[in-house]
Parts: sequence; C-alpha cells; structure tokens
Amino acid sequence: MQRSPLWLRYAVIAWVFTLVGVPLIFLFDKAGAPGWSAIWSALHNSATDHAIGLTFRVALVAVPLNTIVGIGAALWIVRHPSRLSQLVDRIIDVPLAISPIIIGLMLELAYAHTGWLGRPLAALGIKIIFSFPGIVMACLFVSLPMVSRQLIPLLREIGNNQELTASSLGAGPIRIFMTITLRSIMWATAYGVSLTLARVLGEYGAVLIVSGNITGVTQTLTLDIGNNFDNYNAYQGFVGASVLATTSVVILLILGLARHRERKRHEHLARAPR
Amino acid sequence: MSFYSLIVLIPLAALVSSAFTNGWGAFWRAATQVEALDAYELTIGCAVLGALINAVSGLGIAWVLARDAFWGKAVLNALIDLPFALPTVVAGVTFYTLYGPHSPVHLTLTGTWVGITVAVVFVTLPFSVRSVQPVIETMSFTAEAAAATLGASNTRIFRTITLPTLLPAIVTGAGLAFARAMGEYGSVVFISNNLPFKTQVASSYIYSLSSAGDNIGAAAAAVMMMVIALVALTGISVASRRLAKGL
Repeated sequence: MQRSPLWLRYAVIAWVFTLVGVPLIFLFDKAGAPGWSAIWSALHNSATDHAIGLTFRVALVAVPLNTIVGIGAALWIVRHPSRLSQLVDRIIDVPLAISPIIIGLMLELAYAHTGWLGRPLAALGIKIIFSFPGIVMACLFVSLPMVSRQLIPLLREIGNNQELTASSLGAGPIRIFMTITLRSIMWATAYGVSLTLARVLGEYGAVLIVSGNITGVTQTLTLDIGNNFDNYNAYQGFVGASVLATTSVVILLILGLARHRERKRHEHLARAPR
Repeated sequence: MSFYSLIVLIPLAALVSSAFTNGWGAFWRAATQVEALDAYELTIGCAVLGALINAVSGLGIAWVLARDAFWGKAVLNALIDLPFALPTVVAGVTFYTLYGPHSPVHLTLTGTWVGITVAVVFVTLPFSVRSVQPVIETMSFTAEAAAATLGASNTRIFRTITLPTLLPAIVTGAGLAFARAMGEYGSVVFISNNLPFKTQVASSYIYSLSSAGDNIGAAAAAVMMMVIALVALTGISVASRRLAKGL
C-alpha cells in the first residue's frame, strides 16, 4: 500500500486546522476570556434563558417524532416495496438540498393564517406560524431524512431471515421488533438521531421565518445568537454560540462512537459462519 | 406518507402556486429583477468556487485519512465532521469576528466574495472528504503497482490510474457541496454584510423580500433558485455517469 508523501500530510493538517480548528478555538476563547462570572451572568440573561428552554422543548418534540417516522419510513421502504415506497425512497433526500430560507418560506405560505392549510386551522383556533408548532415543523422538515437514510442501506443488507425465523417460532411482532430489528439497527439509529439532534438544535434560516423571531416568546437559541450579534451585544452572542458549539462537540463524540460500534458489528457479521 | 405530505409536499405546492399567483409573466419579471440576478450570480459563483476548492482539498484530506496512520489522526477525522454538527449561525458569527473589521489576524473579508467563499468552503468541507474517502479505502492497488514496475512516474500513475478511478466520487462530493452552498444562509449572512446588488446571496435576497411582505416575489426567486440548482445537479450527475463510463 502506497503511503501519501509527508508534505501532503502536513498540508492537510494545516488546512483543516486553519479552516476548522482555529475558528473553534477562537470562539471558545472569545466566550471564555472574561472569566466564569461573566459567562455565568450571560447564561442568566432572561432572553437567552428563554431561548435555551425553547430550543430544548422543540428538540424534545421534534427528535423523537422524527426518529419514529424515520424508522417507520425505512422499514416501509425496504420491507414493503411498492411503486409509492420507491417514489418516497427517491425523493426522501430532497429536504437536504433545499435552502433553509426557502423551507421557511414554504411553511409560511402553507400554514400562515392566510395560507392553504393555515386558514382552516386558524378558524379552528390553531396557530402554527409564529408559534411553537411552526418551529417544530421547520425542524422536522430540515431533519426529515437523517434517520431513514442511515437505516435504509443497513436494513437492505441484513435482510429479514432472523425475523422470519422468530415469527415461525411464535414470537409476536412487538417482541420481534424489540429483540431483533431494533438490536441490529441500534447504532445506526443512534447515528441518525445524533445528526437529527444537531440539525434541530442548530436550525437557523427556516426557524427565522416561521417563528417570527419574537424575543422571549418564539426565539430559539440560534435566533438569540443572531439577534445579539445584530444588536452589538456580541459577547452575549458568543456565550450562546459556545453553548451550541459544546453541544456539537459532544454530538460529534457520540457520532464517532456510533460509527465505531457499527463497524465492529459489521466486522463481527463478516467473520460469522454463514 | 401523510406525514411527509403535511411537512414537505403541501408546503412545496404552496410555494410553487404562490410564485405563479399572477401568471407566468409576473413570475418571470419577479424572478429576473436586477437585484435577483446579481444575487444568483454571486451565489452560483461562490458555490462553484467553494465546490472546486473542496474537490481538490477534499481529495488530499481523504487520501491522507485513508492511507496514513499518524498521531492525532482521530482528531483530524473528527474536525472534518464539525461543520455538519456546528450550527451555521455559530460559524457565521465566528467568521464575522475572526475575519471582520476588528480581525485579530488582520484579515478583513467582510462584504467580499472571498468571505462568502470561505464560509461556504467551511460548511461544505465534509461532503467532498466523506464521498471520496470510502472509495480510496476500498481501492485495489494492483494496477498502480503494475504501472510502477513498468517504470511509470508517480505523477503519471496518479493522472492515468488513480484520478480516473476516483473521479466519479469526487464529482458526487462536489455536487453535494454545490447544492448545499447554493442555499447557505446562516454562515454567510454575517460575513457578507448583506448589501443588495453587491454581496447579497440568493437566500438573503429571498429572506429580505419575505420579511418586507412580498411573499409572491420571494416565492418566485425561490422557485428560480430551486430550478437552477436542479438543472445543475442533473447536469453534474449525467456528467459523472459519462465520466465513469468513458474512462
């Protein structure tokens, strides 16, 4: 196996460090330099506090919902092939290719009180745009394929022999799902869920439009950061940004672990006698 | 499926129908305003440049990650995924401060296409690396070894054997990066200074129309951008298939 020349290795390290490492270190330094008491009081700013709480509540609804739908969609596409499921398989990645701003605009046009579905819903007293459900919908849209695209290739590869065996031995569908299906897709699901979480916590453009960006009401943490920055309150923005950056680093560690475990499982399967 | 319709398909239909509320002529006028054309041009230019930079640097990074073992490689590997995990607005404010008017490294890129391109290269970095890396990992080296024993130089081996094998993956990665860059907002809006006709990217233009209450105009520009991206991506995928067949 041919190794790469040393100059290339050092060039790569320098490039990635300059592009990614320097900004990350710089951000933490900016937020951390004034000391713990400054960070502590920035974290107790009422707008930022509310924004952190809202972001947390949105994630608490959007991530589990997206996980269930993602697992369901992947099982449906792989195990029940039909013309419709093939079509869904082909368009499932579409949300990843659309600008978040356009996604926000789409949702507003459909669900604002003058929109197609917004009008009848408003008549029922249900408000979606400029409130919590709209923010959740925007997060669901942008993260929709994250779980299923991890699971579809995996489910195709492992097939359903074990499940058929269990079924012939009299196991019920819930028991089969819990003991066989879920176990084999566990780490791939964890990977997809972490990506979903990262996307939901970090969504900016789509949420900016559908939430109306109202301080203390519909402002998520990303919007609070943007707002502080626009209002020359940069330090407050840096502290919020460091909270999100810390979360991202933790998510990255989980992603690394999930990938490692999935590879282990793969090697184990490859060695097992057929 | 009904979930998918509620979240994706109905909003998509609402967007397209609003864009054409006042007919084809009004759509075309709204979508081809001078301000809009300037925004498309800047966005496409920076997206293409960003994708090209990442195609080249991504190949180098993927190569080193796939073939070398060295101290600190795990950290390098993790840093590659950071732009996926880091919220775009966090990247945006960081770049604005690092390369802004009071830049600690004395490099002011705010309000320039260079600044926009830097942001775009950052957010799309993982696409090119992760598309090419698995192909390098599973590549067979017999052809390269054979060429070497027959006296071909390293450059010639790379140009005639290695590069053609990797080209489809490189093109796929560049296509993904391009698509992402076309719609980028959070990381770009701060460093671009968002000046209409000058440094306003398409997403910012659409947002400014929408927040000024012109949802029909915003929808027209949005449909136009989506069509441009779709045409470009189809072109890239056709080209990539041709390349794979022709070589």
